Amino acid sequence: MGSFIIRRSFTGILIIFVAIFLNFMLIQLAPGDPISILSGQDSPSPEMEEALREKYGLNDSVGVQFLTYLRTLAGGDLGESILSGRPVSEMIAERIGPTLMLTLTTAIFALLIGTILGIYCARRPGSKLDNLLSGLSYLFDSMPSFWLGMMFILLFASWLGIFPTSGMIDLRANHSGIAYYIDILHHMFLPATTLTLLSIPYFFRITRSSVIQVMSEDFVTTLRATGMKESRIFNKYVLKNSILPTITVFGITIAYMITGVAIIEIVFSWPGMGSFMLNAISRRDYPLLMGIYLVLSISVAVTMIVVDVLYAFIDPRIRYSK
Amino acid sequence: MEIKNNNQNIFKKYTNKINEIKQLKVGAILLILLLIVSIFAPVFATHDPYSLGDEMVAAPSSTHYLGTDGLGRDVFSMIIYGTRTSLMIGIVAALISGVIGTLLGGIAGFFGGKIDRLLTEVNNIFLMMPTFFLILIVVALFGSSLINVMLIIGLTSWVGNARLMRAQAMSLRERTFIMGAYSIGEKKWKILLKHIIPNGIFPIIANTTMIISGAILTEASLSFLGLGDPNVVSWGQIIYNGREYMTSAWWISTFAGIVVVLTVLSFYLIGDGLNRVLSPKLHDQN
Repeated sequence: MGSFIIRRSFTGILIIFVAIFLNFMLIQLAPGDPISILSGQDSPSPEMEEALREKYGLNDSVGVQFLTYLRTLAGGDLGESILSGRPVSEMIAERIGPTLMLTLTTAIFALLIGTILGIYCARRPGSKLDNLLSGLSYLFDSMPSFWLGMMFILLFASWLGIFPTSGMIDLRANHSGIAYYIDILHHMFLPATTLTLLSIPYFFRITRSSVIQVMSEDFVTTLRATGMKESRIFNKYVLKNSILPTITVFGITIAYMITGVAIIEIVFSWPGMGSFMLNAISRRDYPLLMGIYLVLSISVAVTMIVVDVLYAFIDPRIRYSK
Repeated sequence: MEIKNNNQNIFKKYTNKINEIKQLKVGAILLILLLIVSIFAPVFATHDPYSLGDEMVAAPSSTHYLGTDGLGRDVFSMIIYGTRTSLMIGIVAALISGVIGTLLGGIAGFFGGKIDRLLTEVNNIFLMMPTFFLILIVVALFGSSLINVMLIIGLTSWVGNARLMRAQAMSLRERTFIMGAYSIGEKKWKILLKHIIPNGIFPIIANTTMIISGAILTEASLSFLGLGDPNVVSWGQIIYNGREYMTSAWWISTFAGIVVVLTVLSFYLIGDGLNRVLSPKLHDQN
């Protein structure tokens, strides 16, 4: 178990390192010199240029520069935003809460709904509902997330007027106490539904095929031959074995989901990282953009390690292999 | 005469197979329609997609089938021309990813040992990276030309192909005909290129078809963030431009989105259908 955690952590650290390295290389390789990228101006003032040169050691060789870059990052310094002049780390810290809230809510809902539907359909393969849901899962897979979000805004917010179009709270209402949280839930409903609908297919498909596969294993046939009830076979033996892949996929799905969350945040003006990413892109605020990328890479790596370790706890085969 | 007959049989076998698998049939029909539209775009388009008309934000009518956008451009004609952009981006990006994935996976699985471990580790890293953000930064830094977009999507989406090819190469290298190739003195590289890859390529083709879908969606997302190539018409950009007019002119974004869904769906269906042809046993139970 210990060596397994160490091995996974090593991969995680490697991923973070690669993300940092890619960030560094991109600044080096991009058209224009690093100073203009880091300062956001074609001709920054001599003082600013000097300060940036000093900070990132731009007069040294590339190797030394990379070490300097690592050292600044290790101190939690992601550089300063071109837009606001404030430290990027501070700006991200302010915005990460709403993003996490949206991501986790949708991840949990999608996992639950997708798994339950997957199990249900796997026990009735070829039924009408199974065909319908399989078809729907293709359809949702093919949708651009932002487009679905826009359609929901059009339908539920501007035509039916049931849900607000954007934001996380009603700024004019000035709610407090329970009303405040209800207001957040009210605002979160559309973005969360969009994301959940788009993420359900992953879990649905993996659960469905996993259950079907386990059901066709020899031991299930043997149990059937002993005359055991179908429901007992399923609850006691099939479910446990077939639920495992879902957990693995959960980790990977989080990585894809974060992309989806960022774009959906933009559509619904949800005050998380995604929506100021759009600003960062349109004003070419590279330090901010790269800071977001690094923070996301680190979060994904950490989530995956946690999920993998969890998986190893549940499934002894993983922990004892190799 | 004999040969011709034989060919007809093979052709018939394939068409039967396509008809048998619903996904493949629907997907293929959709794809053929899309190809026709993109090749004969000037015939189908009623207006010049780039020309700014006088009627701005006009509702769908007999002159403008799907209305006009905020600059008075005909949405129908823009969607028709956008087919070319999306198909090109999807196919080129998927081809890049297919070639890289096949080669890296083939090398890893066939040679094994240290190379395999290294490539598998690289693979794992790519699998866990939020690649969309990498794509986004690269496009923001290096410019959003069509070529940049296709290249970067291709360069970041080969992981699945590499995994598939690796597994194929590992199982193929133990087969007798590969041993036979060794015994007649074939070089390792030649065996990889002449025997391993051609014999194991089929699942990669199926997967690459799905990557076309992913690439089209990625391009749409980039355009939605304002990082599309401003010199061409693309569906993502139509949706992006329509966002401002969402409440007053729903038609701009809605129709472009529907076309994206249909196109992406057709490639998914083909990919899935090909997978079914490949492993009928697995899917018969489903």
